[in-house]
Amino acid sequence: VAVALMLGLGTPSGGAAQSADKQPIVIAVPVGLSGVNSVVAPAVVQSAELAVEELNAKGGIMGRPVKLIPLDDESGPAGAAKAFNTAIRQHKADAIITMETSAARNAGAPIAERAKTLFIYTSFYEGRACGKYLFVNAWVPEQIVSPLVKFMTDEKKVKKWFVLGSDYAFGRGLIEPAKKTIKDLGGTILGEEYQPLQQSDWTAIISKIRAANPDGIMYATSGGGPNIDFMKQFKAAGLKMPVGSLSIDELTAEQGGNAAEGVYYTGDYFTGIDNAENRTFLEAMKKKFGANLKTPNSLSEPQYDGIHAYAMAVEKAKSTDADKVAAVLPTIVFKGPRGPVQMNKQHHAPLPVYLAQVQADGKTKIIKSFGLVGPGNQCPNLK
Amino acid sequence: MYTTQLLDVVTTAGVLYIVAVGLLVVYGVLKIINLAHGAFLAMGAYAGVLATWAGWNPWTALLLAAVMGVAVAALVEWRVLRALYARPLDTILATWGLNIIVVQILTLYFGREIHFAESAIAHPISVAGVTYSQYRLVLLLIAVALGVLVWLVMQRTQIGVVTQAVIMNEELAQALGINTRLVRFVTFCLGAGLASLAGALLTPLVSVHPNLGVPWLINAFMLVLVAGVSLGSLALAALLLGGAQVLVSSYGNPVLGSLTIVILAVIILRFRTITI
Repeated sequence: VAVALMLGLGTPSGGAAQSADKQPIVIAVPVGLSGVNSVVAPAVVQSAELAVEELNAKGGIMGRPVKLIPLDDESGPAGAAKAFNTAIRQHKADAIITMETSAARNAGAPIAERAKTLFIYTSFYEGRACGKYLFVNAWVPEQIVSPLVKFMTDEKKVKKWFVLGSDYAFGRGLIEPAKKTIKDLGGTILGEEYQPLQQSDWTAIISKIRAANPDGIMYATSGGGPNIDFMKQFKAAGLKMPVGSLSIDELTAEQGGNAAEGVYYTGDYFTGIDNAENRTFLEAMKKKFGANLKTPNSLSEPQYDGIHAYAMAVEKAKSTDADKVAAVLPTIVFKGPRGPVQMNKQHHAPLPVYLAQVQADGKTKIIKSFGLVGPGNQCPNLK
Repeated sequence: MYTTQLLDVVTTAGVLYIVAVGLLVVYGVLKIINLAHGAFLAMGAYAGVLATWAGWNPWTALLLAAVMGVAVAALVEWRVLRALYARPLDTILATWGLNIIVVQILTLYFGREIHFAESAIAHPISVAGVTYSQYRLVLLLIAVALGVLVWLVMQRTQIGVVTQAVIMNEELAQALGINTRLVRFVTFCLGAGLASLAGALLTPLVSVHPNLGVPWLINAFMLVLVAGVSLGSLALAALLLGGAQVLVSSYGNPVLGSLTIVILAVIILRFRTITI
């Protein structure tokens, strides 16, 4: 322990002079290995492992090897505080790059900020998390809600809407901008309902939908199972209007069998994105992890982009110093499986957004691309 | 609108009855609350997943679920619970422990992600001019059938009469030469089998994951507290509390609706004259 401590103390957190020695660059990944995020966390770690393997195969960053430290944030604030402190104090992390719950991020970000440690957050979230050292390379509601509402208004002729969600921050946080976009496009909202998180019987809300008889539905439940609960019961009740989802993902749709057939949703990453980078990425993932591969998804893929973007920024800054890296990071464009991603809008990134529809076998089909969609004003105090 | 609400009320009562009846049977005879009830529900739901994987008819999942529930319950009653009947508080701990163990085994084997089980009936049906979920109506029929069946067993069979004797006065029954140990064993297995059956019956409504049983356990627990040990009271409680939940959710909102069962249960318990 003493030796490790001295080594750690002997390494100031940056300086181009360091490039000569072979001290590894440490990237910490505090992620929900236990708790609610434990379904997706293994896929996030796999994305990170591939990115680090690719970097090391090319000789690391500035000639220094890259070391990955996955930590368990227990999907919540207490665990995140512990994991961030461990990453910064014990492992002397040069950067924290991870996908976390919002609660965990809110606890971890101030710790990284105080310690002047660069933090790239790779999870889509409700928006407006800002910090000098905090960057985000995944979507905020502005980027996926408006394109979906607009598509359903224009192409599916939905004028009268029924909106519903799970009763918690993310559900309500996505329905709010949806309502705003609906009103901006001249639509009317016939009903708005929220269901408690633990309640899996949607009967009452489905009967209200039937009574209101809207042209279309927009919903945002919590992730995973509740999407399928709602869609199963919605269909069994014989309701047929078009449905837009702000909470379903590729994996959930597939695990739900035919339950979500027909549902429209938008996102920045799908395994079916047809470009060279995505094909290479998926093949490399399959080769590296074989039968243990966790299907890459919109919560895990940005982790891969984040680590590569960080590596490019360090190379350009010629330093791991957080201030220097943060200064060049907005200029870095990493062309990854999603397309070109650059965190140049108040530490957030305009992202390629796609419209997809769930097919009869639960698989997701990309219907159209909206091109790059900006994140709007997330952090007006930052450049 | 009113037809839909009437259907919502009766089918919700039916679902609640199916979910709670296994808990009531165990409580009635063993005088313990089986906190592993939620785990047995989850196990039954996974029987549906296994049946789907094997490509069997969805209805066979019901049989598989019941068999799995009874098998696990038999083992647990024999090796663990039997030794704890003299210490009722410890049975709470033991059944909750069993709940955690079963849920963890399901998690280890299936993972935390959701699974898909084929539905026997996925199409709506037209009733009195409204399109309604055919499966919910089938559930209502199953609830009634289960109620009648359990009632017939209790009233018309030897084991039922013996069980009633144990419910009323276990010591006296023992003195009359009734093998109460066997009655307890059979009842626990029956209750767990009914819980697993209920889990399999839920899969067309909800997605399957290891903690699927938790919210249902809470509602079932409330219903049994209110109903005591009578099947008739359970049906009435399911209709009353489930109905109130639907109506409050429809005219108020689902957040209030979800509180209704708990609040009503507390009020009923407060003002009911003690009968047990």
